[in-house]
Amino acid sequence: MPYFTTSQEWFHQSSLLLQARPTTTRITSKYTISSSTSSATARRKRKAQARASDTTADANTSDTTISTTPAPSSQPAGPKATLTLKTFDPESGVCLKYQTTKAAEVGRLIASLGKLGRGMAGLAELAEDATMVDAPPTEQGPGLSTPVSDAAGKEAKPGASETKAAPQAGGGGGKKRKKGKK
Amino acid sequence: MAETQLTNEEFFTQLAGLFSKSQEKQHGSIFLTQKRFTYSADSAPSSPVKVADDPLWDLHPENPLPVIVRATNGKSKEKRAGKVKLSTVVQPDALETFYARYAEVCKAGMQALKKRDRSKRKKDKAKKRKTGGEGEKKG
Repeated sequence: MPYFTTSQEWFHQSSLLLQARPTTTRITSKYTISSSTSSATARRKRKAQARASDTTADANTSDTTISTTPAPSSQPAGPKATLTLKTFDPESGVCLKYQTTKAAEVGRLIASLGKLGRGMAGLAELAEDATMVDAPPTEQGPGLSTPVSDAAGKEAKPGASETKAAPQAGGGGGKKRKKGKK
Repeated sequence: MAETQLTNEEFFTQLAGLFSKSQEKQHGSIFLTQKRFTYSADSAPSSPVKVADDPLWDLHPENPLPVIVRATNGKSKEKRAGKVKLSTVVQPDALETFYARYAEVCKAGMQALKKRDRSKRKKDKAKKRKTGGEGEKKG
């Protein structure tokens, strides 16, 4: 399932989906804290080590295993939290997702949830549509997976439209077609 | 549904409690869901009535509909005993105020997310000073 690279893109696609299917679409925001000291991480590390030792036993290319083992240990310490937004319409199977780790984005994302909530309620969109224009902070933390790359954004789009198209074969009423009719 | 609907205010207090609990434990998830509220307890059907021959029956409800917002800590299966489920119905005219409060509660609750990295900006500024105010503009 592809994630959108920008929250703007997620918001745009979600509002289109809500316009098409306002009754069945739901938006779920998941806030997860996974502490790095948890047993899950420890298990993962142990597994990685086991795998590393396996490869050394199988093949004698020891230098490759050395390069892979430091990778998990280089993960940042402290709890890692993520906020995932998911717009899902069970009727057509459309699923749009966006994930962030930045606290700075929470306010903006909740505001867009509010705007989408207006769409759910059947209220007209607010006139001033420029609220999303204040772009995300230009500075990116090191090692973040969300640098805005146009290529990736374009890549994500056809993937999303594929997921839209596939389950609708029997359901009828594609999102794009509906929009055209309206 | 076993739980009764909370008022918006009660929902926020309990949601804040949910957030602080996960913050204490430094582990776990909170799920927040919003959806159009089309269920009515009365015998009268909910306001956009499904019309068989119009596939676009729900696009233009004559009255604005409420939105239901739910929150859970996602405990299921063997941990179901510890499950917390909250839900509240937001009337269309209360949406604005609800989301303003909602943003406050979420911002306060999601403390484990990465804070804005100030140290990097300082470094940039120092660099700028060295180069005499030149270089790309940040922020």
